[in-house]
Amino acid sequence: MSEIRDNNHKKEKKGMGKWTRRAFIATGVLGGGLVIAGVAGNMYLNNAITKYSGEGMGDGESLNAWVRIAPDNTITLAVPRSEMGQGVYTSIPMLLAEELEVDMNSIKVIHPQPESPYANTAFLDPNPRKAYASYSVMQKVSAFLPVVGTGGSTSVKDLYDHLRGMGATAREMLIKAAADKWGVKPEDCYAESAYVINKSTKEKMSYGSLAEAAAKVELSENPPLKEQKDFKVIGKRVQRLDIPEKVTGAAQFGIDARPEGMVIAAIRHASTVGGTVNGISNEEEVLQMRGVKKVVLLDDGIGAAVIADNTWRAKNAAMALDLEEEANTLEKVSSTDISNMLNEVIENNLFAPTEAHGNVSEALSNAEGAVVEAAYEVPYLSQCTMEPLNCTLVINEGSAEAWVGHQGGSLVRDAINAVTGTPKDKIKVNITYLGGGFGRRAELDFVKKAAMVGKQMMGTPVQLVFTREEDMKNGMYRPAVASKFRGAVGADGMINAWEHKMALQSVGYSSMMRIMPAMADSPENDPQSSEGAVELPYAFKNNSVAFGELDLPAMQVGNWRSVGASQNGFFTESFMDEMAHAAGQDPYEFRKKHMEQSDLPDADRYLGVLNKVASMANWSTPLPAGKSRGIAILKSFGSIVGQVAEITKLGEKQIKVDKVYCVIDCGRIVNPDTVEAQMQSGIIYGLSAALFGEITMTNGQIDQQNFPQYEMVRMQTSPTVEVHIMEVDEYPGGVGEPATPPAAPAVANAVFAATGERVRSLPLIKHGYTFV
Amino acid sequence: MELKINGKIHNVDVEDGMPLLWVLRDELNMTGTKYGCGVSSCGACTVMIDGEATRTCTLPASTAAGKDIRTIEGVAQGGQLSAVQKAWIEHQVPQCGYCQSGQIMVAEALLDSNPTPTDEDIDKAMTNICRCGTYQRVRAAIHTAAKWRAEQTTLPG
Repeated sequence: MSEIRDNNHKKEKKGMGKWTRRAFIATGVLGGGLVIAGVAGNMYLNNAITKYSGEGMGDGESLNAWVRIAPDNTITLAVPRSEMGQGVYTSIPMLLAEELEVDMNSIKVIHPQPESPYANTAFLDPNPRKAYASYSVMQKVSAFLPVVGTGGSTSVKDLYDHLRGMGATAREMLIKAAADKWGVKPEDCYAESAYVINKSTKEKMSYGSLAEAAAKVELSENPPLKEQKDFKVIGKRVQRLDIPEKVTGAAQFGIDARPEGMVIAAIRHASTVGGTVNGISNEEEVLQMRGVKKVVLLDDGIGAAVIADNTWRAKNAAMALDLEEEANTLEKVSSTDISNMLNEVIENNLFAPTEAHGNVSEALSNAEGAVVEAAYEVPYLSQCTMEPLNCTLVINEGSAEAWVGHQGGSLVRDAINAVTGTPKDKIKVNITYLGGGFGRRAELDFVKKAAMVGKQMMGTPVQLVFTREEDMKNGMYRPAVASKFRGAVGADGMINAWEHKMALQSVGYSSMMRIMPAMADSPENDPQSSEGAVELPYAFKNNSVAFGELDLPAMQVGNWRSVGASQNGFFTESFMDEMAHAAGQDPYEFRKKHMEQSDLPDADRYLGVLNKVASMANWSTPLPAGKSRGIAILKSFGSIVGQVAEITKLGEKQIKVDKVYCVIDCGRIVNPDTVEAQMQSGIIYGLSAALFGEITMTNGQIDQQNFPQYEMVRMQTSPTVEVHIMEVDEYPGGVGEPATPPAAPAVANAVFAATGERVRSLPLIKHGYTFV
Repeated sequence: MELKINGKIHNVDVEDGMPLLWVLRDELNMTGTKYGCGVSSCGACTVMIDGEATRTCTLPASTAAGKDIRTIEGVAQGGQLSAVQKAWIEHQVPQCGYCQSGQIMVAEALLDSNPTPTDEDIDKAMTNICRCGTYQRVRAAIHTAAKWRAEQTTLPG
């Protein structure tokens, strides 16, 4: 392999080599034996292909599980990652096209069945978090089950080397086939725009005409990958392949599935969170409503559904159901109670510190200056995908088919199997476009509920739809989190003590118990609870970071774009600002000083981002009267993002967020335009939460019903985002999530600069602020 | 009832109160118009009725009978994308894309009534929610589409 890749292995992939692990996944566990296959030649390739059905790839010959070439030279690429707006139906083809030597506009993308060659091994990556360090052997084995899924900003991270390798191997097979036909050596040929060309005679043969022979070629070694300077596709602004059909209404989302004979099921859940529905007292009446076909109760009191011939009729009939409900333990619980419980955990029930250096208690008691104390808190949040949750499926005798926008195709298949008993190999999963994912579409609740309805409608395709209200009230929310700091600055103007305590519900535990219980580790070991609060790029002489678990299983929490970093970034980068002010120093200079003395291996990359965003925003130049700015920086999902927010104070508490300067270091860049779009997107998502977002509960019932009670940034309140992407030749990090965490602290720090009010709980509207 | 959609007459047998959104999506299988909230808050269901951008998730279809309904499926004419659609591609606006039919319909109606909108005009007209936060690109694309419409030049691609 190329030198660059090998270097990256050393830098980023300590421990088990990537290719070996992949081969292991492709050949080992599913086959029953724990055989670690070698990767010499294209053995891996052929192993992978034996686990691959080619379903949906169209005519022609497969050169591996990712590439099929038709006689008419149509190049079909399998993209087994969910397109939820992050541009993966373009970035993954770019990786293949670069080495395969095909033009981006000649590529046809399909979403394959969730088969083992497509497993996302970045989910297993121990770096940078020690995700699996504490796992028992049995848990490690199950962790190797091939999960075909999208999340954690992993798609490019997972596939950057692998798919260039797949493209290069396919290209070399085609070249070898052509060389054999011409009776020349492969070195006498080259590939360009889906043709192999004979260097001396300039004769060309199309990939389509060569594919059949190429499929039989055995390569003796993996071809070297291109050096970055030779890239023609990667790193260029490439137009997204999915956009044309997204401007005509032709793009098919899950909710647009219309299999022949489909009916609609509208679901009702209990009115209290976690409550059960045990009966329906007016079923006969509801059955008389126009279009209604059936009323069903779901397994285990999960809810009720009305099946009708039209969504509106189904929804009205579901609303008309008189449910016999039973509330659960949350019946008497409200948000203020949860807040008290969180503070109780902070005081009395923390796990051993996740990170500790020096002796923070001593440093605090011996502090020369004042000890700065601060208590922060953030609320539950809903992901609020624009497309309400839905899943369409048909359960037949011995087989099933689903159409769903989901972040994990293999998880969908497993869930349908669990509910209906349909053999996994007889379940076809069609992953459509996702009208937003943000972690909510990694959950299986809506798939399982659809399967529960589907098995009561054998042979008839059913589309289960959550109304917006059911979607908002039955969330897998970002947890509410409380956080307490104590800090002290030494005589040298540097932070001498940094103590951080947090209380929350573990997202990892809650979601894994639902998705893959065998892999659920204890809350104590959930790295997501402290991500963004530990491994900070600042030199602290003494520090301690600890969190504790709020045990409240009835209130389910889940992944929300950027997960733990979403709140921890707000806490740490707000408190960093507080410490700067306590030290009487400029917030940028203060961060810079602490970074310069940091011993983190990538401290220089942090500094690059921090300095760049400060210079973009002209940090050292004072703003005109009425304008203020705030700065924040955080690494998450392998990428460092720094932001400066500029705001205008229009009235005492009336604010306009004018502009956000954003710098990202995500290592090597695949599609700069997509990186830029994801920065814009992640910032608006973070701002919506910081300004407006809050899910609250009163006596077990969620208070927010629909968008009017869960406002978001819209055109008028949207700042302009100016993005700079650092050019850093390192293995790629993620880009879908890392822009979200710094947005809230950057704006809150700007609000402090503007008003002198340190906002320590979100959203800002709760403190009387309005935004225009 | 009789509905004229994208120049074509459709006869549907539905209750008077059924919102136009569900007639389009479930009775006529025109799924380009989207369901987002059901309370006319997000704008994903926007179509043009007699030239005006209208949210259809709470609008009884019967009130649109006899009027000229234009949906996202009717924006491209004879296989040619509109200036707005082309500007959307030029600026690479959509991400997940779910809200974009609604955004485009509002933009078309805005430019029909106001060929040279200012940023303030855009703020006022474009109140649809985009959870992916594509607002900045939507704004830029509207300005580009306005320019292309005014120039009436041959549009790219």
